[in-house]
Amino acid sequence: MESPIDAFFREVLDDRTSVANQLEEIHGLAWEVMDSALLDLCRLRVAMLLHCDSELEVSNSDLDSEKIASLSEWSSSSLFNESEKACLRFTEEFIVDVSSIPDSSAFAVRECLGEEGFVNFVNALLVVEQRMRLQIVWRKIGEEVSV
Amino acid sequence: MTRSQRVTSSNFDNKFREALSLWQEEVVQLDLVDPVTTEVVRLRCADHHDCYT
Repeated sequence: MESPIDAFFREVLDDRTSVANQLEEIHGLAWEVMDSALLDLCRLRVAMLLHCDSELEVSNSDLDSEKIASLSEWSSSSLFNESEKACLRFTEEFIVDVSSIPDSSAFAVRECLGEEGFVNFVNALLVVEQRMRLQIVWRKIGEEVSV
Repeated sequence: MTRSQRVTSSNFDNKFREALSLWQEEVVQLDLVDPVTTEVVRLRCADHHDCYT
């Protein structure tokens, strides 16, 4: 079943169906190559940082509510394991300034996920981030056009 | 900032890699933005992401 966010992209992209199809494809694969709970934590953190309400409203995994409620305090919370903390640190740095991620953050993720897992993670995060930034910009344009 | 090499190989899931390539091909073929602007943006993004592919 098509998600509301997929439907939004199809509506915006209109007759550019091959672009919409490819976007859906890469988004689906991002979740296939990653542990869905881990990627969902990072997706929610990106949504919080970018104030992307449409993404905060959905869940792509079985994350428990206590963990979601503590997500902004992940660095000091005992609810998050080492792998989750490494990925969340990398995610925040990726969102704020992708060109300034320190080696220590990258190596921590590589240590937890392995080399191929690390590359999968970075690409999955890229898909999640791009999809969210597109939503934010296109929804804003849509609001302004409709006024 | 200086960065160490972080992976010995940029290999990752084949299906995912192919799909990402197809997505990028589809995007650059869109023609609503003129080619020069598209290329300037593409190069700026590649530089910012430290991407040499």
